[in-house]
Amino acid sequence: MAEDFNTDSMFSMFLFESSQLLEKLEGIILEKQDADCFDDADINEIFRCMHTIKGSAGVMMYDNIMKASHKLEDVFYYLRESHPEDVPHMELVEKVLAVSDFITGELDKLRNGETADGDESKLVEDLDEFLSRIKGEIKKQGIRLPKANKQEEPTQFYVKPVAEDDSHFYKIVIHYRNDTQMSNIRAYSATYALKEVAEDLLYTPEDILSNEASGDVILAEGFHMLLQTKISKEEVLELIDSSEAEKIDFDEITSDEYGKELVNLGREPAPQIVINLEDGVKPAKDDKPAPGDYVVKSKDPGKGKTLAKNQPKQQSIISVNVEKMDALMDLIGELVIAEATVLQNPDLKVPGLDLTNFQKAASELATNTTELQQVIMSMRMMPLTNTFQKMKRIVFDVSRKLDKDVEFEVIGENTEVDKNIIEHISDPLMHLVRNSVDHGIEEDPNERTMLGKPAKGKITLEAKNEGGKVYISVRDDGKGLNAEKLYEKALDKGLIDKPMSDYTEKEIFRFVTLPGFSTKEQVTEYSGRGVGMDVVVKNIQAIGGRLDIDSTLGGGSEMTLVIPLTLAIINGIVVQVGNSPFVLETSSIKQFVRMTQDSLVQEPSGEEYVVLRGEYYPFIRLNEKYELPDSCCNVDDGIVVVLEHEGKQICVLIDKLLQQQEIVVKPIPSYIKKVRGLSGCTQLGDGSIALILDIAGLIQDEERR
Amino acid sequence: MEELKEGLQEQEADAQKGKFMTFQAGKEFFGISISYVKQIIAMQPITVVPEVEDYIKGLINLRGKIIPVIDVRVRFKMEPKEYTDRTCIIVIDVKSTVVGLIVEKIAQVDTIMDDDIVPPPTLGRKDNEQNKYVYGLAKTEDSVKLLIDPEKLIKQEVLEALEELQEEEQE
Repeated sequence: MAEDFNTDSMFSMFLFESSQLLEKLEGIILEKQDADCFDDADINEIFRCMHTIKGSAGVMMYDNIMKASHKLEDVFYYLRESHPEDVPHMELVEKVLAVSDFITGELDKLRNGETADGDESKLVEDLDEFLSRIKGEIKKQGIRLPKANKQEEPTQFYVKPVAEDDSHFYKIVIHYRNDTQMSNIRAYSATYALKEVAEDLLYTPEDILSNEASGDVILAEGFHMLLQTKISKEEVLELIDSSEAEKIDFDEITSDEYGKELVNLGREPAPQIVINLEDGVKPAKDDKPAPGDYVVKSKDPGKGKTLAKNQPKQQSIISVNVEKMDALMDLIGELVIAEATVLQNPDLKVPGLDLTNFQKAASELATNTTELQQVIMSMRMMPLTNTFQKMKRIVFDVSRKLDKDVEFEVIGENTEVDKNIIEHISDPLMHLVRNSVDHGIEEDPNERTMLGKPAKGKITLEAKNEGGKVYISVRDDGKGLNAEKLYEKALDKGLIDKPMSDYTEKEIFRFVTLPGFSTKEQVTEYSGRGVGMDVVVKNIQAIGGRLDIDSTLGGGSEMTLVIPLTLAIINGIVVQVGNSPFVLETSSIKQFVRMTQDSLVQEPSGEEYVVLRGEYYPFIRLNEKYELPDSCCNVDDGIVVVLEHEGKQICVLIDKLLQQQEIVVKPIPSYIKKVRGLSGCTQLGDGSIALILDIAGLIQDEERR
Repeated sequence: MEELKEGLQEQEADAQKGKFMTFQAGKEFFGISISYVKQIIAMQPITVVPEVEDYIKGLINLRGKIIPVIDVRVRFKMEPKEYTDRTCIIVIDVKSTVVGLIVEKIAQVDTIMDDDIVPPPTLGRKDNEQNKYVYGLAKTEDSVKLLIDPEKLIKQEVLEALEELQEEEQE
């Protein structure tokens, strides 16, 4: 099985790494989108991101990704080196996003097993044009222009390596076939392979990665390399990928000849700084390498490797199959039960046993298992940061396309939610945010100022964790929903038939979630593409959540997704009815009350109601409903629980409360048909099974009667 | 790994051919092909699930997996009987549906050749439903064993459940 994980590990690493870098990149860009310019740290960071992507794309031979990232790297190289002022910041942001989108698109293609065949030339042209424009600005400002595409590192001198006795010197010329595609990349991979073994490696043309024309030079003149290494000729030949090579000239030369060849390669020894080492001249290398080229510096053959990794330290993350996580969770559940079996073993109850040491060890074990359980639970939780990041991007794109000035505020992006849920809310949330920009914010800023609102629209995305639920709201300060318009529209479409007075305002707002309802007359590119609010609501309901709509005409609207924190774990109270344990979700419990027979009202039909502080609630005796034996039938002995779901309340009679604990929800085996009022089952600490009551189901059931 | 498992299963299937786990319910002995049997466990505390068929006794916890259990006597329309310490649960796996069968007493594992199995006579039997999952009668030295097809036993349930679901939807 291990092989499965190793196959294409390079490829998946490339995908993973690149997407992470792109995410980071987008993060930086969007954070600074409203600033006037990027600061140095950002520029460096963007430069590094692009540099790494370019490097790995080069190794993986994805030419278009490489070129696009290279061009962007160029732009940032200029910014980094000459600190120009008056760079059109917005345009730059757009350019970066365009490149990031392009690469993301290509990565997606690769991920789906397609080839990365996107055309980068338009992008590159754009960037070139942009670059020359800022260059022009720079010139105008009289700032020194750095040499084209050359890295302004402190001058590096080519230090000729000390020839060791067992070193061989080779002069290698690779002639590729005339029809070879991307000969520069092939040459590059040859140097890459040799770098591992080289004590010294020089090649020409030098700018094989950064200069596309170098490919033609290589085809015409061959690719010249000078190599100093300890390994034999045969081993060297093996390392060079000769599949496309027409012929490879391979000469072993002496150390002296090597020095001369260096000069032939266009590296004149720098006479002014001749330092005599034991064995002669130290030629200076004045052709500085282009950024991104792997520069093999002498004395440090392994340097190329570290270059690729000089990105800043990130939190390291591994992705794990969810099935494995579930298996782990099950195992830990069993461990906890096994622990209970050991610690509460009847054998320990023999009188007169000295258990001091046992108890110490036992409490240690208990601490560890509890912690273990918490860790596995937390492993499933992820912050909403990434999802919110995407929303920033949406607001940015949509507001620019629609030419609306929108401020976007994010609150509580660190709120943690179960991974499964995150996957489900991304699309609905995207839709809500788009809607807010498109339909919420007024088209005409004057309209806003007339109402005394700032000209700039504001959208707030807020997440908070409350009572076992996560509230994610998208709030705008725009037009708000017009209840009258909504009603007319719904009537028009034949979605409703009652007079308007039959509906509350909130109910009318809910019309927008009806299938086939779209208030915007014109379907724009961003909203109303058929996937409407009804789909949003459906998706949210699928994960046990709901959508609340609130709006003030002229003051803005607020759409709130209320979703469970996790699908797998709930905070529950274990109660007993008869001999059966049941679990009630803590968040749906309003209160526990002791009652007397007097507070019950019975209808002739047998239906019962509870009077509680003047209010009437439907009353369910669980033992009767589910025909559970051995239960107390007397209200005086039992406990009444008031449960609430979506504003509807119901009272349930139980025998007694057992405990409160975190419950791992498991489905009832499909073999057993669905019982209304039960949403799942769970394993209690002692290994027994409790059924989880589905409050919504209970209430529905009651309403049907 | 998966392949290896399958290979093993095939080998096992050969060894299991003709072997039947027999158990007693009432006066009769029943047999179930051993290839379905996952394990036999002692009686366990059962959590009752309300509003289900009377023969589904509830859920048990099989080392972290929650599985439903069926009382075979009730399923065969016999009078239910108190559980004793001889009562066992045979855990069977029918096409990935894992179900426990509560039986009064495990008898033994018998080898029954195909030749010894005759289909149950269909004429003149009143108790038709029982025949649906009894697919053969096997004569062994001392007694006649009713061979059960657990697939049918399960399938039937699923169908019933489906029908009920559909009814619900129509409501």
